[in-house]
Amino acid sequence: MNVTCSSVDVSIGVAGLGRLMPMHLLVDGEDRVVGVGPTLQRAFADQTMIGARFSDLFEVRSPGGATSLSEVLDLASHRFRLALRHRPRVGLRGVGQWLTDRRLALVNLSFGIDLLSAVREFGLTDADFAATDLAMELLFMAEANASVTRELRGLNLRLEGARVAAEEEALTDPLTGLRNRRAADLFLERLCASESPFGMLNLDLDYFKNVNDTLGHPAGDFVLETVGRILGEQSRAEDCAARIGGDEFLIILPGRTDPEVLARIAARIIRRLSAPIPFEDEMCQISASVGIVRSVDFPRPDAAELLAAADRALYAAKHAGRGRACLLGADDGRAGLIA
Amino acid sequence: MDALLLRSLQGYVRDTFGLPVWQAVCRQSGLTVETFEPMLRYDSGTADRVAKGVADVLGRPVEAVWEDMGTHLVTNPRHEGVRRLLRFCGIGFADFLYSLEEMPGRTRLALAGLDLPDLQMRQIDVDKFEIFCRSNVKGIPRVLVGILTAMADDYGTLCVIETDDQHDDRILVRVLDSHHNTARRFDLARPEV
Repeated sequence: MNVTCSSVDVSIGVAGLGRLMPMHLLVDGEDRVVGVGPTLQRAFADQTMIGARFSDLFEVRSPGGATSLSEVLDLASHRFRLALRHRPRVGLRGVGQWLTDRRLALVNLSFGIDLLSAVREFGLTDADFAATDLAMELLFMAEANASVTRELRGLNLRLEGARVAAEEEALTDPLTGLRNRRAADLFLERLCASESPFGMLNLDLDYFKNVNDTLGHPAGDFVLETVGRILGEQSRAEDCAARIGGDEFLIILPGRTDPEVLARIAARIIRRLSAPIPFEDEMCQISASVGIVRSVDFPRPDAAELLAAADRALYAAKHAGRGRACLLGADDGRAGLIA
Repeated sequence: MDALLLRSLQGYVRDTFGLPVWQAVCRQSGLTVETFEPMLRYDSGTADRVAKGVADVLGRPVEAVWEDMGTHLVTNPRHEGVRRLLRFCGIGFADFLYSLEEMPGRTRLALAGLDLPDLQMRQIDVDKFEIFCRSNVKGIPRVLVGILTAMADDYGTLCVIETDDQHDDRILVRVLDSHHNTARRFDLARPEV
């Protein structure tokens, strides 16, 4: 099949060439620039391009070995790549064609994928691109993409915030602000799984039922809130202080296994909780019994086993009278009064 | 589409009238949430329902609410991205109008699955354009009127933009002076963030 694309030779003025190919370059057989499109000129600012040598303005990236335009046209099979000598970061791609018997070559250039940086470096506007150029679409895409990514990042942050808040809520006892039973179980399981040493206080309020019965539930709630605040103050950031039942609390202390230290902490908490708590015109008097266990007393600490042991220690403390603390011994499994 | 409109309504009401007004709108519309996410899906019809809620709370016609929201979308500095994306579409206001038909295609390139309204533009005289805008959201043509008003201003063009009383989806644009004012500056390069 033989298709004739055009039956006439065309000639076009400089203005027309500049409009159709705003990044064209006309170079003579001596490698001198004799014509330049308006957008390409913008990349060179005030620098005079007419008369300058092609190889002084552009560095040839491919085809390798070429420096002058005639070498580029001889060696390049399809397109070639250049960089601006004064802005090496901006790459150009181009195609070229001898117009007359190796005396005048026409080259058409584009910024290719470096369009975004070129637009920024040279302050190009939409009027700098040929109407058929997809430059504006590419810029539109880059910008739309950035907006969508920003929105997605925002959405992810908001969802993450909501997730953290929901998780926090699911692990918090609403009345006291301490952790809840589920949080304490998770905390305990994690410590057992990682075989980290820790101490644990199982605390039960004394005379709390009395407060509820004589002064009413609002007083009871107020006392629980106060207990929550005191236990929060008495524990370190890495500890877990939880309300695990009506008036039962658990304090898990990672790294604390010294019996004396644990006894001292228990005694301090009992002392603080035994101080009268003023509610409206009344004084609420409670105290606390504490059962103490240490992970190091168990060959293979297990959450259920430790909780059961802490319960036994608490029972022993209650049995010994109110406001006492008992440490469950390792050897005989019997609780000994230590505070 | 509802998600984007709901997010825009939320931004417009909160920026312009304050959070308490937006909360009143949410109560009025029987919403369980006060925040809409532009990337999530909402039942179709929600946007029209909430716009009606805004209209009731503000005591203004729902058409005016949609138009103002469209303008706010373009002119609010916090949404500079929207104005920039629109400015990429045309070198002047008339060129921008011609590019409206390409808008759904452009948007699909950036974000697949967004159900943009169907837009058709016809030049009926040198200075007269007719735009058909079809969407399952009733307020969309009014949003477009608001956007066009703001964009005409951005390009420095003086024009009259009208809706057709007989056809909800038909918008008429008459350009009075395309160089009425200097166009607002537009840098192709995205501002550094």
